[in-house]
Amino acid sequence: MADLVLAAATPHNPLLWRAMRDPMPDDLAGVAANFDRFRRAFAEHDVDVVVVIGTDHLRQFSYDNSPAFAIGKADAYHGTWENEVRTFGMEYVELTGHRQLADRLAGRQVQPEAIDFSVSLEWRLDHSFVIPLQYVRPELDVPIVPIHTNASMPPVPSVRRFIALGEHVRAAVEAWESDARVAILTSGHMANDVGGPRTFAGSPDPAFDAAAAGWMRDGDLEGAIDVCSDFERMTEAGCMTYQYLNAVAALAAMGRAADFADVAESRFASSPFFLWTTR
Amino acid sequence: MSRYMIDKFMRQVELSDALVAAYAADPGAFVDRWLGEPGGPDAATDDRVLTDEERAAFAARDFEALYALGAHPYLLWHFTEAVHAHEFTAESGWRELVERYRAAVAPQGVVDYIP
Repeated sequence: MADLVLAAATPHNPLLWRAMRDPMPDDLAGVAANFDRFRRAFAEHDVDVVVVIGTDHLRQFSYDNSPAFAIGKADAYHGTWENEVRTFGMEYVELTGHRQLADRLAGRQVQPEAIDFSVSLEWRLDHSFVIPLQYVRPELDVPIVPIHTNASMPPVPSVRRFIALGEHVRAAVEAWESDARVAILTSGHMANDVGGPRTFAGSPDPAFDAAAAGWMRDGDLEGAIDVCSDFERMTEAGCMTYQYLNAVAALAAMGRAADFADVAESRFASSPFFLWTTR
Repeated sequence: MSRYMIDKFMRQVELSDALVAAYAADPGAFVDRWLGEPGGPDAATDDRVLTDEERAAFAARDFEALYALGAHPYLLWHFTEAVHAHEFTAESGWRELVERYRAAVAPQGVVDYIP
């Protein structure tokens, strides 16, 4: 059976793409060091396929058609969009899909009991998928199964659905007749308010950040459920803070405290780094 | 009130370099053209409707008004950045636009932006 060998939760802040360059600015040294740690861990775990859980930022999916969870079943994906090249200086990339695992996760004929995925066979992935891959696996040579979670367009799935997603990924991987070594790479934010009243002014809610780091450090799923079930509280922490729940999906998949948990401070809102390893 | 249409307009413009340039060159004319160019009867649905207030806000690049009308904050910031970037100078650039934007929206607090 396949093995879930690693899970990582990282930031996908696209402003890093221009800012985090040599000579490394002092304030970004911690973010760069964490990405380097994750890149080495990924390489050390000999990963064959990676489930990339991110949140499309109203590019591929918008309010004309907004799935709660969408899974990619394509053989290949284009990476990033014209506006992201313009605004963030990102680079177009091509990524290989992993159809077999996608079918295992989504159900080929009938959807699994655990979760109802929308399915996409034509998808241009945005920075939420591309940026973490570029920092954690710069070679971009490991096939992927992308999963979009709607964390930006209310109504959003509840925290318990994110937990169901993580648990489903683990169960589907472990039931897969394969010797593949599978990783989960999720990304999102701590408190983050891009476009809101506290936009680009550091962390909009350090108290949320401290608590949210603790849930990962302690493996405290109940703590996460308690706060993340309150949408008003999440919005109070910033209009994009709900993307933190992608890390909750990783916590649920691994079912234990993160082996490494750090929230890096910089000129930007706080950057989440949570890592679960098996080697 | 049509938050969905506000978001649809911002998203469509911001995704495209060509549309950003066309809008920035003449916002009012662009908005009117956009309203008059939905897909034909055989196209996927492409309704385009803005109230007078919404149209005026787009014609004036008025991010303060758009925020109050319930524009999605993430889309609104990136739309605002995109359609002001050509005016950035050494004295007044990205950081100054951020400050103007925050000063406009902060007094309004969290506005309901759910369409």
